[in-house]
Amino acid sequence: MYAQAFFVAVFGLAAIGFGVVVFRTSSMVRSALALLFSQTAVGCMFLAMQTEFLGVLQIMMMATEMSIMAIFMVMFMMDPGGLGGMDMSHQKRFSIGAGVSAAAVAIAVALLSDWGPVAEQVADAEAQTRALGMELLGRSMMIFETAGITILTAMIAATAVAIPVQNLASKDDKEASE
Amino acid sequence: MTVAIVLLALLGGAWLLAVIEGWVTTGRLRPGAPMLSGLAYLGRESIVPRSPDRVFFEAAPVLLLVVAVLGAAVLPLAPDLIIADLGTGALFVNAALAYVLVALIMAGWGPDGAYAMIGGWRFLGQLIAYSMLIVMPITAVAMRAESLVNTAIVGSQTSLWNIVYQPLGFVLFIIAAMALAFRSPFDLPTAEGELAGGVDAEYTGVRLAVLRLARLMLVVTLASAATVFYLGGWHGPLLPPWAWSLIKTLAVAVLMLLAGRYLPRIREADLMRWCWTLGIPLALLNIIIVGVLILVVP
Repeated sequence: MYAQAFFVAVFGLAAIGFGVVVFRTSSMVRSALALLFSQTAVGCMFLAMQTEFLGVLQIMMMATEMSIMAIFMVMFMMDPGGLGGMDMSHQKRFSIGAGVSAAAVAIAVALLSDWGPVAEQVADAEAQTRALGMELLGRSMMIFETAGITILTAMIAATAVAIPVQNLASKDDKEASE
Repeated sequence: MTVAIVLLALLGGAWLLAVIEGWVTTGRLRPGAPMLSGLAYLGRESIVPRSPDRVFFEAAPVLLLVVAVLGAAVLPLAPDLIIADLGTGALFVNAALAYVLVALIMAGWGPDGAYAMIGGWRFLGQLIAYSMLIVMPITAVAMRAESLVNTAIVGSQTSLWNIVYQPLGFVLFIIAAMALAFRSPFDLPTAEGELAGGVDAEYTGVRLAVLRLARLMLVVTLASAATVFYLGGWHGPLLPPWAWSLIKTLAVAVLMLLAGRYLPRIREADLMRWCWTLGIPLALLNIIIVGVLILVVP
């Protein structure tokens, strides 16, 4: 139990540490990968809390997601390497205020909630995975399928928006002239 | 003890692959050559390029090595010869190998070189192409085993190997594995002819030695994954289980090596198009076929 709490704390601190690095660096790639390792540390917290499937999933998903975010940050920022002394923070007072109050709320929720008794025994990883599968394809199926379809719709819409209009117009013109 | 055996097997596999690669390329069988060139790398100057991202530059080769070892840690060589038989083993292989991308982006961005950077970002595009073809065949494998535990996956193939049960999945997985290990014809991030080595370009000396070793180990890990998922793992007559695992792993690795030698390097856009318009529908078809087989055939 103590070893578990120790590792949860260590990975939690690592997550916060990498989270700080995200804003302390000017390099977009460093920033994105620091966020990645922050999320990986959260995945390791899941592992330390014996929720193996969630932990492994978190560690897997974040690697690709944050890498893709990195290339978008490089594409759209004017100084992706951070070598030009760019300051990427803004609205400093408001940000500090928002950050401190959000942290206070999170800590308050953590401390004041009634989390119930600590589980003495947890099901092994295989049983957990099975239970999760039953949940996803049973009671929670509607919620997850709706979310999935919504994301898919957004992806198709975004792709449709990104296709240059010029091509479609010229094709129409061609068809009209024929 | 198990850790030592698995590490030794990985190192041995990497050495054998290097020997075979040298044999196929030069026509001479020199078992000592990988060790000699490894030693030569250690003796050479390890240059740090101008204004690098030092953390990424140093971390990338090590991360690639760690990823290959972590992937191998959940793959069984024999029923009790596995470092960690996780409840989510098949998923963990994916999770570990996802960090190949992170390592290559680091190796691309770190040295502050144009060729390296293009190579690193290219691999991101490559991942968008191959990643579904890794995950979806594994899904079909897990469906048959009704488990994500790798030893259970091998157990499910006692009567019939998955290569026979789901050949389509095997072909897709091998292609995707070659793309993941950035072997020819998918060696876009290193592409010697056009990118002068790409992510390898700025690495020299001991760092390059680690990078090369990691790449070979990655091939061994992926071949071992193919063995566990499709070739019945340790199952086989006469020989002890670990020997079968090693033989099959080596055979898959050599297959990947040889297939790459006779194919021209694919273009990034073509890879993406074929993977998405052909590969993913085939992978879905594979899942459907396996699903129907599981339900219909007792």
